[in-house]
Amino acid sequence: MTLWEVRNKQSAHIESVDPTLLPAVFQRLNEMGFAAGQLIRCLRRSPMKGPLVLQLGDTVYSLEQSIASRINVHPA
Amino acid sequence: MKNIILVGKPNSGKSLLFNQLTGLRQKVANFPGVTVELKRGKFEQFELIDFPGTYSLNSLSRDEELAVQKLHEAMHSDDTSLIVCNLDATRLERSLVFGLQVRDLARAHNKGLIFALNMIDEVQRFGHNIDTEELSRDLGCAVYALSAKTLIGLHEFKLALIKAGQSPEDYIPLANEQSDSPVLEISRGLSKRYGIQADVVLKRQNSIDDFLLNNIWGGIIFLSLMFLLFQSIFSWATPLMDAVEAVIGEGAAIATGLLPAGVVNDFVADALFGGVGSFLVFVPQIMVLTLIIGLLEDSGYLARAALICHKPLSYFGLSGRSFIPYLSGHACAIPAIMAARTIESPRKRLITMMTIPLMSCSARLPVYALLIAVLVPDIRYAGGLLNLQGITFFGLYLFGIVTALTVSIVLNKLTSLNKDMPEMPFILELPTYRLPHWKPLIHRVLTSAKQFIKRAAPIIFMVSVVIWFLGYFPQNGELQSSYLAMLGHWIEPIFQPLGLDWRYGVAILVSFLAREVFVGALGTLFGIEGADENIAGLAENIQADGLALGAGIGLMLFYVVALQCVATVATIKGETGSRRIAWGLFVGYGLLAYCLAFAAAQLF
Ligand SMILES: Nc1nc2c(ncn2[C@@H]2O[C@H](COP(=O)(O)OP(=O)(O)O)[C@@H](O)[C@H]2O)c(=O)[nH]1
Repeated sequence: MTLWEVRNKQSAHIESVDPTLLPAVFQRLNEMGFAAGQLIRCLRRSPMKGPLVLQLGDTVYSLEQSIASRINVHPA
Repeated sequence: MKNIILVGKPNSGKSLLFNQLTGLRQKVANFPGVTVELKRGKFEQFELIDFPGTYSLNSLSRDEELAVQKLHEAMHSDDTSLIVCNLDATRLERSLVFGLQVRDLARAHNKGLIFALNMIDEVQRFGHNIDTEELSRDLGCAVYALSAKTLIGLHEFKLALIKAGQSPEDYIPLANEQSDSPVLEISRGLSKRYGIQADVVLKRQNSIDDFLLNNIWGGIIFLSLMFLLFQSIFSWATPLMDAVEAVIGEGAAIATGLLPAGVVNDFVADALFGGVGSFLVFVPQIMVLTLIIGLLEDSGYLARAALICHKPLSYFGLSGRSFIPYLSGHACAIPAIMAARTIESPRKRLITMMTIPLMSCSARLPVYALLIAVLVPDIRYAGGLLNLQGITFFGLYLFGIVTALTVSIVLNKLTSLNKDMPEMPFILELPTYRLPHWKPLIHRVLTSAKQFIKRAAPIIFMVSVVIWFLGYFPQNGELQSSYLAMLGHWIEPIFQPLGLDWRYGVAILVSFLAREVFVGALGTLFGIEGADENIAGLAENIQADGLALGAGIGLMLFYVVALQCVATVATIKGETGSRRIAWGLFVGYGLLAYCLAFAAAQLF
């Protein structure tokens, strides 16, 4: 499943980030900690398919659908 | 002189550290080429340069690209002796990713590097301690724990900084066994060892977010905050404005009392106090606006606002990140257009830049305030919390925003601006909520007032003087038979359909130099006419003279839409690299403004 499908207050482990993303975006996600094995926790889903809010490491991020649906995860 | 450069992630307390080190004695310098704002200040015998905050040395957006480019230039310069990298001690993992990139850069260029482990007061509040000596061994660089807010450790840091500045070669990062592993792995390892547990730090932030980002409450709070913002510009600033007006009135009375009656006396009363003075009255409103935007920014709420706005704005072809430039566009379009650099998507960035001029900047404030005072009665509701003038004011701001969104849709649907560039996704980091520090905030408010006066006063003065001469002669004080009236009658046909006579026409034309000039010019014109009456109270003079409701509303709408600012056109041209876009906007918004004013004059 993808990060976009993780439900509110659920946790998941990152499997992979779509390697066909723009290299700059791929690299930035990696620096932000989106790498295989990392634990994320979905803190919030916004109404009308707005950006989701998640915690990764010591930071809270917000990602929109177009990017979250290209990160693969499995439920923790 | 030797330079020390300060780098760090946004929201890591870098600006506050800079202020503490330089004691607010700083100047903002624009560097040649594309403007990147670098603040410079003196620290002991060194020059401290504050680089814009970036999340990474691998840039994603235009602002990061420019900042990183500047950093590379500084690395190659012999003037750069030392780098200070500011880290957020509460978020070691995330800060160190950037910190380690900087370390590698410093090592590659043989530059000295010191880490400032900022926000240590918060770490200590959680009962945690960071062993900086161990950490510094692991990093191969000097590390100093400090708090720019409570000043813990700041003295030691300053002493160390002086020493390092004198012999930077002793501070070049040392290579160690792990320097070859990926940055992310090292930073994760180090933060596990030294850092504070993420859940502990994020607990308060997340529970505030539960409220402020709540699906129902979040939107209501957001809208209420915006509404209060605009109300407060009116209600909080009123006592200050009255005070300024009283001082100007007193000054005018004293000056005209001292001078013998005649041309000089008239000049001082009409051009100086009537023209320049009538715009000084609005400086308090600009200060209140800057204060509130500063509060929102420093507290961390702006990032939440961007998040809340992202989905709604995306229907208009904009990004949640467009919200911040839009908001600061209410103070001044120029920094707002620059701030649009943070929007990763080139297309959304361009559309944002093109619509920012529709945000009612502070230069429009005097015009709105004057026209509202003329047209709208001062009626209060809900025990004085709301007043009709404030609501009208809010309506004008709203009209600008709605027009901007409409133009965005049109641009998004009908044009292919930057469509060939790769589309960048919305990725946002939510910073911790913090109580803003009042000192830099006050400083910022005062600076905004100073800059506004410095920018507008000379031009208003010149225009007032020229208008006064043309309006006063040849028949000493007979406006209707002056040179200006002759010129005015010549352009009157343009403004007649709007229900405005030549005096307004002249004021509108000269305000294409800068909008505030409108008030000064009208002040001078009415000053000449009402030669022997009181100079203060331009609004009452206009009321007495009579301004039709339709024409007045049209005038307000005209000022919402028209792009009457040479500096903004120049900035758009600089940022887009396209003269066609810049002047196209100037003409387009001008025509739209005229049509709206015409419609209003016919309808009401
Ligand atoms: N508790 C605490 N707050 C700080 C410290 N340094 C800065 N802040 C606050 O953190 C927020 C962001 O600081 P700022 O200097 O604007 O960060 P910058 O974006 O890195 O320049 C502001 O509200 C500051 O008042 C610190 O050492 N301790």
